This record gives sequence, C-alpha cells and structure tokens, in this order.
Amino acid sequence: MLQIADLTKRFGGLVALDRVTLDFEANVLHAIIGPNGAGKTTLFNTISGMLRSDSGTVRFRGTDISGMAPHRISRLGMSRSLQIKSVFDSMTVAENLWIAAQAREGVMHPFSNRRRFGRTAARVDEILEQTGLEGLRASPAGTLSYGDVALLEIGIALATGPTLLLLDEPICGMGPAETESTVEKIRHLAESVDIIIIEHDMPVVFDLAEWITVMAQGGVLARGTPQDIAENAAVREAYLGDEDDDDEDGEGDGFDA
Amino acid sequence: MKERINRSVLLTVLALLLAAPWLLPAVGFDYWLDILAEILIWSLFAASVNLLFGYVGLLSFGQALFFGMGMFGVAIGVAKLGLGFWPALGLGMVVAVATAAVAGALAVRLTWHYFAIITVVFSLIFYFIALSAKPLTGGDDGTSFSMPPMLTLGESELSLTDQTVQYLFILLVVGFAFFVKYLIVRSPFGMALMAVRENDVRASLIGLNVYFLRWIAFVVAGGFAGLAGCLFALFGRYASATYMFYHVSGEGVVWTIVGGAGTLFGPAIGAALLIVVREELSNMWEHYPILVGIVVILTVIFAPKGLMGMWNALLDRLASPSADGTKKDEGPREAIETAVAPVKGEAGP
Amino acid sequence: MDIVVALAFNGLVWGLIIALIALGLSIIFGLLDIINLAHGDFFMVGTVLTWFVLEATGNYWIAFLIVPLMGFLMGALVERAVIQPIRGTAALSIVATFGLSIIIQEVVRAGFGAAPKRILPPIEGTIPLFGIEYDIYRIFAAGVSIVAIFGFFAFLHRTKLGTWMRAVRFDRDTALAMGVPARTVYMVTFALGFAMAALGGAVAAPITTVDFQTGVDVLPFCFMAVIIGGLGNLPGTVAAAVLLAVTEGIVTSFTDPTVARIVSLCLMSAVLIARPHGIFAGATR
Repeated sequence: MLQIADLTKRFGGLVALDRVTLDFEANVLHAIIGPNGAGKTTLFNTISGMLRSDSGTVRFRGTDISGMAPHRISRLGMSRSLQIKSVFDSMTVAENLWIAAQAREGVMHPFSNRRRFGRTAARVDEILEQTGLEGLRASPAGTLSYGDVALLEIGIALATGPTLLLLDEPICGMGPAETESTVEKIRHLAESVDIIIIEHDMPVVFDLAEWITVMAQGGVLARGTPQDIAENAAVREAYLGDEDDDDEDGEGDGFDA
Repeated sequence: MKERINRSVLLTVLALLLAAPWLLPAVGFDYWLDILAEILIWSLFAASVNLLFGYVGLLSFGQALFFGMGMFGVAIGVAKLGLGFWPALGLGMVVAVATAAVAGALAVRLTWHYFAIITVVFSLIFYFIALSAKPLTGGDDGTSFSMPPMLTLGESELSLTDQTVQYLFILLVVGFAFFVKYLIVRSPFGMALMAVRENDVRASLIGLNVYFLRWIAFVVAGGFAGLAGCLFALFGRYASATYMFYHVSGEGVVWTIVGGAGTLFGPAIGAALLIVVREELSNMWEHYPILVGIVVILTVIFAPKGLMGMWNALLDRLASPSADGTKKDEGPREAIETAVAPVKGEAGP
Repeated sequence: MDIVVALAFNGLVWGLIIALIALGLSIIFGLLDIINLAHGDFFMVGTVLTWFVLEATGNYWIAFLIVPLMGFLMGALVERAVIQPIRGTAALSIVATFGLSIIIQEVVRAGFGAAPKRILPPIEGTIPLFGIEYDIYRIFAAGVSIVAIFGFFAFLHRTKLGTWMRAVRFDRDTALAMGVPARTVYMVTFALGFAMAALGGAVAAPITTVDFQTGVDVLPFCFMAVIIGGLGNLPGTVAAAVLLAVTEGIVTSFTDPTVARIVSLCLMSAVLIARPHGIFAGATR
C-alpha cells in the first residue's frame, strides 16, 4: 500500500531520516514508535508532502508521490492529523469538517450557497457522529478542550474521505476515559481505512497495533508484531538509553509495556 | 465570524441610498450626494483590501496599484484611444485584472510581512513608471477627459454628467460588487479561503491548493480595486499617478481595520466614517489627519476587530450573558491573532 | 565625466546616511517583528528638529549633538505608548505604524509648516578630489555616518545591552528564558532605531531639504537596503545601501532618476521572491 525506499531528509547537518526503507501493508493497523528525535514525525511530514525529501521515493498505492504537493497527495486519498494540534480556530467544529469534506469534491464554486451541498452536509453529520462531537458542532474550534481538539483533528483527517490515515499522537492530551473511547474509535475506523499511527503511549500501542515499526536516530530499528517488539533487546535498550532526551513532552514516554 | 446584520436594517440602508438623490436636496444637503458617491467608491476599494486581509489573511499595502490601473485604463481609453463609455470601462477592468494576475502570481508566494512589503514595492514600481511615462499618463499632472455618454437613443442620451445618473450608476455597480462578495463569502470557495487564512498548512493537508486559492483571491481583489478605480476616474473625469501611491493603499487598510476586517460591511462603515470625519473636520481643523492616526492606533490596540467586531461582540454578549463566557476571556487581541495570522511556520508549496 | 564623479560621491554620502537609518529599521524588524512604516518619518523628524534647534541657538553643532538624544527619548516614548501595547498583534503592527506615520507628518506640518526649508552647511568650502572640487561638509557627513555605523556595531558586540539585543534577535525564547529583560531590550532597540534615524536627519539636513514629506522618499530606499542586503544581515544592509545609492547616483547622471529607482525596486522584488520561504519564516519567528 505504502512503499518507502531510501528516504533521506537532512536539516543542515542533522540527518533526520537516514535512507529509510519501509513497506506498509494494507489492512493492517500499523504503529510507529521510537524515542523523541527518532524521525517519526519527519517521516510523516515527508510522506504527506509537507517536507521535501533529499532523496528516496515514496509510492502510495502504486503512484510515485515523492515531491508531490500536500494537497495533491491528500486528493489521492492520504490524510493525516498533526502532532501539534492545528485546526481552523475561528471556524465552528461543523465548518472545520465541512471544508475538509468539500475539499475533495472541489471548492471552486464561488457563487453558490454552501447550504446546497447536501452530500457534504451528510458527510459532516456522519463524522460528527463517528467522533462523538455532535454536541459541539456549533462551537468555534478555538474554544474546544484539548481532548476535543484531538478528536476534531481525527475528524478533519477523516472528512476528506481517505483510504490511508496517518495519525500523529492522536490521544496526546486526552484523559483516561477519552483515551479509551478514542482507541475504540480508531480500532473501529481501521475496519474501513488503512491506518498508520505514531504514539508514545505504549499500552495503547500494544493494545491497538497489529504491526509495529520502531525508529531510532532517523533509521528503522526493528519491525514486527507487538510480541516480537516487546521481546526485542535492541528496542529496550534504545528506550532505556533515551532518558536524557525527552524534551518534547516527556509524557507517556516510558517503555513500560 | 458571524455577521450580525439584520435584513431589515440592510434593506432600510439600501432604500435610503437609492432615495438619496431626492432626499438630500429636500433637506438642503445637495453636495452630500457627491460625497456619498465617493464613499461608495472607496467602500469598494476597502472591500478589496478586506477580501485579502479579512478572508485570506494577506495584508496588502498595494491595492492602490490596481485602483490606479483601473483609473488609467478608463482615462487613457477615453482621452487617448477615443473609446466610448463601456469599452473604456472594459479596458480599465482588463488592465487592472491582468496586472493583478501577474503581480499576484509572484506576490502570493510570500505571506506575512513579506507579502505586505512586496505589494508596496509593486505599487511603487508602477507609480514611478506612471510618473515617468508622461506621453501616456500625463505624469504628475495626470490625464483628464470629457465624459462620453453611456447610452444614446436618438436625440436623448444618458450620461454621467447628470449628477443623479452618476450617483445611481455608482450605487448600482458598487451594490452589485458587494453582492458578488457576499456570494463568494458564503460559497464553498469563500470557506476554503477562510480555511487558508486560519491555517494554511492544515488547509493544504485536507487537499486545498493554497497557492492557487490565494492567487484567485488576489485577482478578484485586484478586480474590485480596479472597478473602484474605474468608477473614480469616471467620477472625477481624471486619472493620476498619485492614486497609485502606497498611501492610498494604506487608507484602504485603515478603513478596513477601523470598520472591521473579515466582515462584509465593516470596511464600508470604516470608509464612510472616516470620509465623513474628513469632510466635517477638514474645514474646522486643517490637521485632522492627526485624529485619524490616533483612531487607527487606538483601534489596533483596543479593538483590533474594528467597529463591526465590537458590535458583534456586544450582540453576542447580549444574546448569551454567561453561556460560554469561560473561553471568551482570552481578550480580543489573542482572538484576532488567530483569526488573521497566517501560520508562521512553513507555508504550502 | 566630472558630473559622474560628483554624482557617484553624492551617492556614496547619501548611501552611508541611508545605511545608518536602515540599520535602525532592520533591528526594529529583527527584534520587535515590526514593519515600521514610520521609520522614514523618524529621519524627517531629525531634519526638522535640527532646523528648530538651529533657529533657537544659531549653532548647528548644538543641534548635531542633541538631536540624536531627542530622537532616543522620543523613540522610547513611542515604544512605550504605541509599540508595547501592540506587541503580539504582529499582523496589525504595520497598520499601527502607518497611523504613527500619519500623526508624525501631520504634527510636523502643523508645527513646522508645509513649505520646505533649507539649512546652510555648517562647514563651507570645497577640496579637490579625483579631479573635481567636492564639498567638505559632505565628506564630513560621510565620516560621521561611518563612525556612527561602526559605533553601532561596537555597541552590539561590546556592551551587555548589545549582547542582549543580539541574543533576543538570534533566539527570542531562549534569551527570555535566560533572563534577558525583554521590555528594556525592546525599548532600547526602538529608541536606538529612532536615534540613528534622527542622527541621519541631523547630518543630512544641510544637504537636503527640510520638509515634512522627506520621510516618504527615504522609507522605500531603506526597505530596499534592508531587503537586498538580507534580512537580519546588518553588514549586508550597510553594503546594499551604499551600493544602491552609488548606482542610483551614477545612473542618474545618464538618465532620469525615476528610471534608476524603478530598476532598484525591481531588483528588490526579485530578491524578495527568490528567497526561499524558509529563511524568511526563520527570521520572523
């Protein structure tokens, strides 16, 4: 479904991705884990077109998408949520979802009332139900709680009608109850959409993922089923040797699975 | 942002504007008809600034360029090419929109302060060109022309030389432009523009072509400014490079901010207010621009959403005294920042 | 040929004065994230204050000494009254400085009058230079600008305040976290920017006209120097100012000065557009 070959990305002298080669199969819920600075988010950024790689190729369902603009990649059916939650703050929850849903259908209707787009409205209702945000549909996104913004992130990504969903720390900032229900939602979503998830919360990862990729220092350290990974000595070492490096959020970063 | 304009208020204002040619002489304010016409034209100009700043988050200090192009298109069309009324108007629009298409293709690659700077630079370049191309533009003196008739039917002809006809024509054109802007704002395209304003990275990730949307908005805004320029040339029978200078753009920005960026009628209200202030005060106090400057700074500090923003906030508070007051205390400044600031990080392609 | 040499020298002198003003514009942009549309007017205020002090005392040198100080104080005042309240509304700061520009110009028009005035050079006479007779005062003006520019760089690199300013410019968040007093740094930066523009005005007053509108001509030139020299690149700004002014001076001897200005502006657009967005984004943060 998604083939990454020799993907390299440098920031000045720092090698964020070092000839990463990965193959993500369809119909499997993938997770990517790794210490901070391992290159997980850079990988997502490069795949989704936000960053241009220095070398290497990315193929998505047979199409070479390396160097393609983000909006074109999105229209091919790849959608993502962002680690630093970013939604359209002064628009309402429903409007956030509406524009995401309409983006695929085309927005070059400069003179028609947006109420006429019934299919998009139906899609918005559907997503509101899936994410459980119905009660907040008229609230400006900027006024939502952190957990609700995280849900809206997923909702926006979903509204574009993707066939592949890249989720970057989707439960970051949620309380235990919210986390549990979100994990269930993701599991449910995975039945219809391919999902690759970056997550720091190990219990969640090991509960959810069917196939885990461990990254460290811009490279791939290990791949396997959750059980393989839990028993992998190199992985444990990478995490234990990482204690002084957690400047990003320091939260849920331990390897206590 | 919800626009809280009552339909009946809007219709009343429209009716008053339509009746103005007969109402004003009745109360002895004849010469206000021309001021009203001028307000309408500059409202359209402010609407052009607003379309970019209020709805796409791009602050242009160069809209005067397209205003001037519209002016010169009309003036040169009539005076040098001998065109009639409608062809000259068409020429003004074509010239303005074409300039906007080229300038926009370059300018919207930048955002934030750099966009503001490059728009100033573009308008300065054409300002100096207009100054030095004396044979065509008349340089410092500008180009004046005599008004060709709009419509000739046998013996009688319809022309803007009739003050009432001129006013109604301007009202009709400006009204139509505002209607178009209203359609755009509530359309999917308008929503896409707002998404780009709110968060351009996010917008590109949901599949919006940020560069293209910004460019289209720039061209449309250039068309609005050009139309205002065409009308102003017809109104004054005159075109001058002075109107291309960035100070003219700055006035449009000031009206927009004072009236309320991102609202349909805020800029018109701002333009009306400041032009009335000018007309009333300039006779009494020569240095009234000091007051304008102070109002601008106070608006930026205390009411960055402008008069319409204050009005909307007031209505919101009246409508729901304490319903969702918890999150509202962030202060207006923060709110406008998220509302108008394009994301500072990497932009789209 | 003589005219070319003279105009080239005039360009050099003018370029050094512009460099002095543009440095202020550049640090205000770099540290406060503010596009100061009133910066040209700060220069204009310098020329007007010089005229007033000269009228009052009859001595240019008194003006030369106290005008920059007055500029510094006015800068601190403006920073406190206008700039500090709008920090955080970066998008609108450009609108506020536009309003400031309107106020300054109109106040000067009210107090000084709309008619341009001239100041006689305090040093008279010419000396032979590359085959022409050149005004001694203009050479003095160039010298003052050079000393002031070097003084500014020394200030940035040798004093605690200057180090703070560089720290804030380099990485605001870290600098603030390390206890750099932000408010002081912002105020001094703005005041210093005003003072340098005012010094430029005091130096330029005898070789240009004193007029409430001169700021409008100077501002685009300063922006060109800052952009072409590279945002955040202070020596680059100085070099660009001098280069632009000399080039415009020479071009002016062949053709219309407006053409020279158009060419400079086109060059500036090209630089702005060709810069990758990332560099700019880094600089605005």
